[in-house]
Amino acid sequence: MYDIIVVGGGHAGVEAAYIASQFKNLKIAIITMPGVGLASAPCNPSIGGVGKGQVVREIDSLGGLVGKLADKAGLQFRTLNESKGYAVQSTRIQIDKIKYSQLAEEEISKISNITVIRSKVTGLSFKNDIYEIITDSSTWNSKKIVFTVGTFLNAKMHTGSKQTFGGREGCESSDSLSEFFGDIKTVSARFKTGTPARLNKDSVHYEKLEEQPSDSQVETFHVLHGTNERFIEQKSCYLGYTNSSTLKIIRDNKEKSPMFNGQINGVGARYCPSIEDKAYRYPDKDVHHVFVEPESHDMNTVYPSGISTSLPKVIQKQFINSIVGLEDATIEMYGYAVEYDVIDTTQLSRTLELQTKPGVYFAGQVNGTSGYEEAAGQGYIAGVNAALSIMGKKTLVLDRKESYIGVMIEDLVSNVRDEPYRLFTARSENRLYIREDNSVLRMYPYRAHLGLDNQIDNYMDEFIVKYSKYKFILENTFIHTSDSFLIKHKIKVPRRTSIADIIKQSDLDPVETVNDYFNHCGLVEDKRVLRTLAIALKYDGYINKSNDHYKKIAKLDNVDIDLPRMLISENISFECKQRIGKIKPETFGQLKLIEGIRPATLAAIAGNSY
Amino acid sequence: MSIYNSDETIIACSTGNLSNTAIAVIRISGNDYLNSINQFFDLDINKIKPRQAYFCKIVDEALILDEIVLTFFKGPNSYNGDDIIELSVHGNQINIRRIIKLFIDKAGFRHSEPGEFTFRSMKNNKLSLTQVEGLDLLLNASSIFSLDQGYSLLSGKLQEGFRGLYDSLLKHKSSLEFGFDFLEDMGEERFNLEFNDSFRELQSNIKKLHSHVSNQGFNLIKPEVTIFGLPNAGKSSLFNLLLDEDRAITSNIAGTTRDFIREDISINNNIFTLIDTAGIRLSDDLIEAKGIEKALEVVDKSFFKILLVNPYEFDETYYSKVKEVQFDSLIFTHSDREGFNELAKAVCTKLIGILGKEIGPIEPIKPGPIEPTKSGPIEPIKSGPIEPTKSGPIEPTKSGPIEPTKSGPIEPIKSCPIEPTKSGPIEPIKSGPIEPISLSLIVDTVNIKEEIFKLIELKYLKLLTFDPVLIERHAESIRSVYNLFLDYEKAVNSTDDLAIIASELNIVGHCVSELIGIISPDDVLHNIFDKFCIGK
Repeated sequence: MYDIIVVGGGHAGVEAAYIASQFKNLKIAIITMPGVGLASAPCNPSIGGVGKGQVVREIDSLGGLVGKLADKAGLQFRTLNESKGYAVQSTRIQIDKIKYSQLAEEEISKISNITVIRSKVTGLSFKNDIYEIITDSSTWNSKKIVFTVGTFLNAKMHTGSKQTFGGREGCESSDSLSEFFGDIKTVSARFKTGTPARLNKDSVHYEKLEEQPSDSQVETFHVLHGTNERFIEQKSCYLGYTNSSTLKIIRDNKEKSPMFNGQINGVGARYCPSIEDKAYRYPDKDVHHVFVEPESHDMNTVYPSGISTSLPKVIQKQFINSIVGLEDATIEMYGYAVEYDVIDTTQLSRTLELQTKPGVYFAGQVNGTSGYEEAAGQGYIAGVNAALSIMGKKTLVLDRKESYIGVMIEDLVSNVRDEPYRLFTARSENRLYIREDNSVLRMYPYRAHLGLDNQIDNYMDEFIVKYSKYKFILENTFIHTSDSFLIKHKIKVPRRTSIADIIKQSDLDPVETVNDYFNHCGLVEDKRVLRTLAIALKYDGYINKSNDHYKKIAKLDNVDIDLPRMLISENISFECKQRIGKIKPETFGQLKLIEGIRPATLAAIAGNSY
Repeated sequence: MSIYNSDETIIACSTGNLSNTAIAVIRISGNDYLNSINQFFDLDINKIKPRQAYFCKIVDEALILDEIVLTFFKGPNSYNGDDIIELSVHGNQINIRRIIKLFIDKAGFRHSEPGEFTFRSMKNNKLSLTQVEGLDLLLNASSIFSLDQGYSLLSGKLQEGFRGLYDSLLKHKSSLEFGFDFLEDMGEERFNLEFNDSFRELQSNIKKLHSHVSNQGFNLIKPEVTIFGLPNAGKSSLFNLLLDEDRAITSNIAGTTRDFIREDISINNNIFTLIDTAGIRLSDDLIEAKGIEKALEVVDKSFFKILLVNPYEFDETYYSKVKEVQFDSLIFTHSDREGFNELAKAVCTKLIGILGKEIGPIEPIKPGPIEPTKSGPIEPIKSGPIEPTKSGPIEPTKSGPIEPTKSGPIEPIKSCPIEPTKSGPIEPIKSGPIEPISLSLIVDTVNIKEEIFKLIELKYLKLLTFDPVLIERHAESIRSVYNLFLDYEKAVNSTDDLAIIASELNIVGHCVSELIGIISPDDVLHNIFDKFCIGK
């Protein structure tokens, strides 16, 4: 008898089990498909990216696993949007996917209260508050179940006209969800995702591509790792471009693409288009980026990011070889598209628990998201809440004003997805505050709520103490106008000014300036904490200004709406009522988040105090 | 506001309750009430068809109250989305009250609150907030122009313009967001292109809209005309002269203290408020000094400003005080007194020195004999008859050649030619105040009123050529959007930090949401429905 069984050993499943296992009295099992390593990366070999980097750091500060694994398997480190301001900077690490999965196996195997069961789930039943899971080898009982079944629900793969059943290359698909849960709704449209061909790494002419080496200055994700620590030999990424002949090949073969000839009905993400999408949607644009990314020291392939495709093999080879640098590239594995079912996430609460079946949680790609990071974030929330629930503790729900995880989960449960969901910084209303650098500060109260006492908890306590200490120093150290520090930086201030004010008022880079000042004073301090503080000082004024303006709108957001009354009104369109009825918003703010509600309708409802 | 949220059936007379008329319309609005009023009619009300007129009798048990025409509008296909019954009854006020009382006493209906019918139409999504504001403007219009704009709001045209702004904002915002999240995919160059293009589009939309908003902050729905100057300059006389027979259409609104007298005047169907700042005098007395400040404040906010100067009582302190006032018209009074022309000339020169404004050469004209005005309340003024001079080239006026004054002692001066308003394309006004059309005028006294009116109207028409937004909430929002956009522009030019830029843009965005009506109900609705009587 287990306390929690996690069905699925991907990024969501591993994260769910990992956090739940930190409550040492719980017994946890992961049931995963035989023959696949834990937390494997079947698509792009990277962790992090815009918005996603923030999620990784949030999970890390909450005591999750993903950041630790990414650092240790990191082949190439990079900061995206480096010149666009601290709030939108994101870390991305290219990972050695073999290493990554090995590390996950190692970490999980070290944990005494997690059992990994490699078996295929064939049935499920519910008796006396206990779930019984039947696999092809045995039967298991559990109080809670976390489903993290990824793209494996009714999955079907396409390469040209060839169709196979399965969630990814070399794997079977899970059976239809309907066999498990007759009444769980799936989204009516199937989703699809795709992956590009893998190229033999020795067949690429790297000298014809632009090299992007690993950046040694990029900070690691995991706070207990050295700030710039690297664990394995670093490798470069390479940038190339498609050209008119590449696109001509793709356009000429439109009828052979399963995505456009009707063979695939699934909805792909607009933000993650296949090369076919790009070719047909932008007929005038022939030049697209192709990033050639290393997959592993122990693999003979590279991943050409930007050209995912489900075209027949011959055509894949043809268009790939038309790209400068890839003329002689040989293909080790062809690209394919996967179609799969996703569940209707509006049935979930903000703990990702199924409202109609308490004790059942859903996380990851089965919820219609894309990306390892999104999956891991949901896995964490589902796992931690399953654990808290067993122990009779209060749930852990992250506020969307304080985290990207909170943004994602609220978006998921308040909308029926019509395309795969990915985090963007644009989804957050509080972007200036939800940054990578301050994830420890933001997650501190949430982590503290768990009442655990691990290494990371000690680190976070210390972080908070140091932060206040440094803040006090910067706000209360006034330096004279003729101070050598000011002269060195060519800063002119009218009177004695605190360092904090100098940072707020000048165009100086806050992080460099604060570091410099501490060096100048001969103080050696914690660079992660200093960085967080320096950036906070820089954004403080802007955040306040934005909050002031937001308050006006927020006032309306908190107004309660009279739902029953709205639903019987003859004056709200059927479609809107359907959406509203499904989501059951309580406040105007929640109503506003529902997609497909037009401004005119909002204005009317705002004016009606329904 | 709570009362508005009730579902009760409401009743009211929609055609006014001031005087007896041939027909009055009583309107009932609610849902599922037909059965409860069947007893009051001599026909089976459950069988009537919507949108058909029925001739019938209203009965109170055995008593026949009135013969009426009844029309039923089934919701949601009615004015406000409710089931509406309109009773055209005989328009005797006693009759109307008796019928309404019947429904209130015996059917349990409630007399509607002001604006409640229309409130329901908004609640039932029949009209948007902006349209309601338009309706308010339409019903309470004081000029043809307000009527037009009210209609344009009601029909959603102006709102479409606002939506256009919203669209271009969204487009710009998307370009920015795209740059955040997909910079690696799209490349710096394309980002810059899309960002700049959408920025310019938004900028031009905001500027265009802002060009329809006056910066002077005066009331455009009923613009104010102020007369100011020292005591004994003849302010009250001019005030009374301008009022003349227009008095009948106005009602006197008492000034807050002793200070101002206000009357409405109609100039070619546009209503203006005329304000006499009399009673404000220069004195050592602190209160009086405050009075001047206060008067100047009122003058400052008014649409058209007339400064009266009595050259025989010149006070440098006063004129230095009014230096900052952008007056539209300067009138020299007391032209009948001896040596007026010479004195006026001298005073004029002095004034130019003090005010720092060009007034132009004074061309003295021959003062005419003083006569009591024909019809108005102007009387020979204690301090002597008023007579204006003229200081600039005279523009022939439509009303004919200038003649010696016949009827009154007032003679105004005109200093610069009036530019005929252009009817061409709308020109955005600059961010400064609207320049006065002329500093002063002079015409023969018979036409003085006409001439002043003409100047006022000219300025008003000139104002209207840029199609100003009349509703203050809209104007206020547009001003805020404009100013916030300037901040945003600054941010764009001074930082590369996209997060900061986006944050500033979001602030602009909140303001645009307010403009199109996604706003707090208590702020705006309360105001409208409390203050005005809409759509009754």
